[in-house]
Amino acid sequence: MIENAVPVHGLRVNRSSLQKLIIVGIMLILVIALSLLSREFLTFSNFSNVTRQIAIVIITGSAVTLLMISGNIDLSVGSVVAMTGVLVAIFSSRLGIPLWISVILASLFGGVTGSINGFLVTKLKIPSVIATLGTMYVARGLAYVFCDGKTVNLGLPDNFRWLGGGFVGPVPIPLLLTVVIACVFIFVQMKTLLGKYAYAIGGNKVTALLSGINVNLVTFLLFILSGILAGFSGTILASRMGVGMPTVGIGFEFDVIVAILLGGTSLSGGVGTVWGMIVGAFIVGLLGNGLNLLNVFTFYQSILKGIVLVVAVVLDITLKEKLE
Amino acid sequence: METLLETRNLSKRYPGVHALKEVSFEIERNTVHCIVGENGAGKSTLIKILTGAIPRSSGSIVFKGRDYQPRSTNDAIGAGISFIYQELNVIEQFTVEENLNLGMEKSWFGIIRKDRSSVSKFEDILAKLEPGISLSQKLYKLSVVHRQIVEIARALAVNAELIIMDEPTASLSDEEVKRLFEIIRRLKGENVTIIYISHRLDEIFKIGDYVSVLRDGEMIATKKLADIAGKSELIQLMLGKVVATRYVPNRVDESVKVFQVQGLSTDKLRSISFDLYKGEILGFYGLVGSGKTEIARAIYGIDKFRQGKIVIDGVEIRPKIPKHAIRRGLAMVPEERRQEGIFGILPIKDNIPIMNTKKIARFGISSAKKERAVSIEYIDKLSIAAKGIMQEVATLSGGNQQKVVIGKCLNAEPRILIMDEPTRGIDVGAKEEIHAIIRGLAKGGNSIIVLSSELPEIVNLCDRIVLLLEGRIKKILKNGEGIDTEEIMHVVTGIGEKVR
Repeated sequence: MIENAVPVHGLRVNRSSLQKLIIVGIMLILVIALSLLSREFLTFSNFSNVTRQIAIVIITGSAVTLLMISGNIDLSVGSVVAMTGVLVAIFSSRLGIPLWISVILASLFGGVTGSINGFLVTKLKIPSVIATLGTMYVARGLAYVFCDGKTVNLGLPDNFRWLGGGFVGPVPIPLLLTVVIACVFIFVQMKTLLGKYAYAIGGNKVTALLSGINVNLVTFLLFILSGILAGFSGTILASRMGVGMPTVGIGFEFDVIVAILLGGTSLSGGVGTVWGMIVGAFIVGLLGNGLNLLNVFTFYQSILKGIVLVVAVVLDITLKEKLE
Repeated sequence: METLLETRNLSKRYPGVHALKEVSFEIERNTVHCIVGENGAGKSTLIKILTGAIPRSSGSIVFKGRDYQPRSTNDAIGAGISFIYQELNVIEQFTVEENLNLGMEKSWFGIIRKDRSSVSKFEDILAKLEPGISLSQKLYKLSVVHRQIVEIARALAVNAELIIMDEPTASLSDEEVKRLFEIIRRLKGENVTIIYISHRLDEIFKIGDYVSVLRDGEMIATKKLADIAGKSELIQLMLGKVVATRYVPNRVDESVKVFQVQGLSTDKLRSISFDLYKGEILGFYGLVGSGKTEIARAIYGIDKFRQGKIVIDGVEIRPKIPKHAIRRGLAMVPEERRQEGIFGILPIKDNIPIMNTKKIARFGISSAKKERAVSIEYIDKLSIAAKGIMQEVATLSGGNQQKVVIGKCLNAEPRILIMDEPTRGIDVGAKEEIHAIIRGLAKGGNSIIVLSSELPEIVNLCDRIVLLLEGRIKKILKNGEGIDTEEIMHVVTGIGEKVR
């Protein structure tokens, strides 16, 4: 018995389309403002520059978005990026393993970290913030241990920079990878049972269990995905820099989480989209890039980023309340 | 003799539910005044109005000779009415003194200042109630009854003249109950009046001076307990005349046992055994704490059980998580709709199909079209009033939320449906609709287990009735014209054999 939809104030808006409108609006305002302020901003080379910078945020964020929709969080991704960056460099140089196998192996190490997170959260019932805070420190430590605290830059194969710095035609490879992975995860989020279960678990964990969802298994899988993609991101970053360094990726977890939150995912779960996270990543990336072009000192950039995050979320909440 | 509190024509209406109907009664000063009634009789509504938690719809209350209109629980406490919560409302990590002082700390620009006078006041109060408790003890080290005494002390510290206790003995041992009663008796001498709510009728006869009986939101009687002949009279007042007017026997096929439970034991259950036949509606009835929900949870793979066997179609199952039980043909409509039944923030289309993804997905990829079809199928079948499949379930009315939960379970196509409190907190119309759905299911050859704390629901629906008391099955009755609701009440309240 579906009642006739009653238009609200003559205009029917549902919550998720409103969310999209708001966040795209913020991005457009940002693009217009920056292109008016700087001539270099709206060029292809600058765009490809920005996407290379935010590529790993989107790649990692794709999996972490699903994890956060399920009501969990992963703080270890920044350390995993450093650890797998060091590992891919060691594998392909000292151990002489072919690059693509090294990339897979290193990504799997990320997956192992993810499975440890999953184990801690599902079996030992530790809140994900605490569990992944722990693995964040452990993975960072391992990154230093594996390379003895020294940057790995000797004996790297010639093709080492290909993954992070190469091009297919005019398109940077990281951009290509980002598009492929983002599309896969948009599909997973919208069309698959894994995506549906993530929403269900984040929406109400008890109901999910009583409805026959294997909550532990799904949560475990989402942590592994998050670890693998963070691991893969680490290899891309190492390749872009041309070295394996244990100090990279500090604060990366927050770049990812900020993009996800800007994209409308709720910290308590049940709400959010991969698509929104991508727009969120662009907002952060474009802002940083534009401010660089305008020669704004990095100290101020950090202040502005913080303000943008809070303003965006406040805007989101107040506009929604007004329109509903 | 002096009246402390009086209500006149007190009413409370919710949309679709008339929870309290023109209730008028008086409470005499320095007495223990018990309030009894079945679940849903209106006890908690009455209490919530007295403590300022909810506003009344109409009527008046006179407290200490003055018109009383609390707008919050703080108003009520200020006026001298304190409430002892069923789930104790203390901070376990704090000391007794800190708990007694909570919210009333004296401070000097935010720095807590020790106040000699209040400390000695607390000491006096505790000395009177229970000298065994010292102010410096942490709450988590105290027994349940001692924690309750701390709560009573807190009420006395704010000069409460009327203390309301809701099922205070629910988690106390016999010894502790005795201790609590001693204290209650002492309170009467200290110019404190008690409203005492309990399902345990024995206690009411032991501790009460007066008893008021509520039924279906109406005040049936207020009597001196001394004038009541015994529990049977009280039970009769509580229940009124329950008749199974709507009961229609189902075509039960007693040759087919679809489901058997044998010797199921957990911490709360003692060797539960029963059979369920094809096409049967089997009811479980018992008071709060009788173990109804625990049986459902153990069968459904939520709680582990120590001993026992669960058999479906002759095959034993051991579900570790509900998923396993669902796969074998069970489904459960849980007791707590909001916390366990629905995904409130998700739309209907993500609620109804979720228990049977085979219908909507292939190789893990789900089809929006099929989701839509399944959702609309059950919206139509169960007459769910909704704006559309995208409406968030939390925004539906209680009855429609419950129908979503039922739709979700039916979509799993279970052969055995467990329904825990299928109509709790929903209006009369939706209740009837849900009962019709349950009967329809039985007619279709399904077997249904209904666990309910509402006797009319049980006797109007079920073919057999399992009576529970303190985690044990006391009796299994066959329903029919001659069903004796008085006997049922005697069994579930533990009076044992019927006394005439």
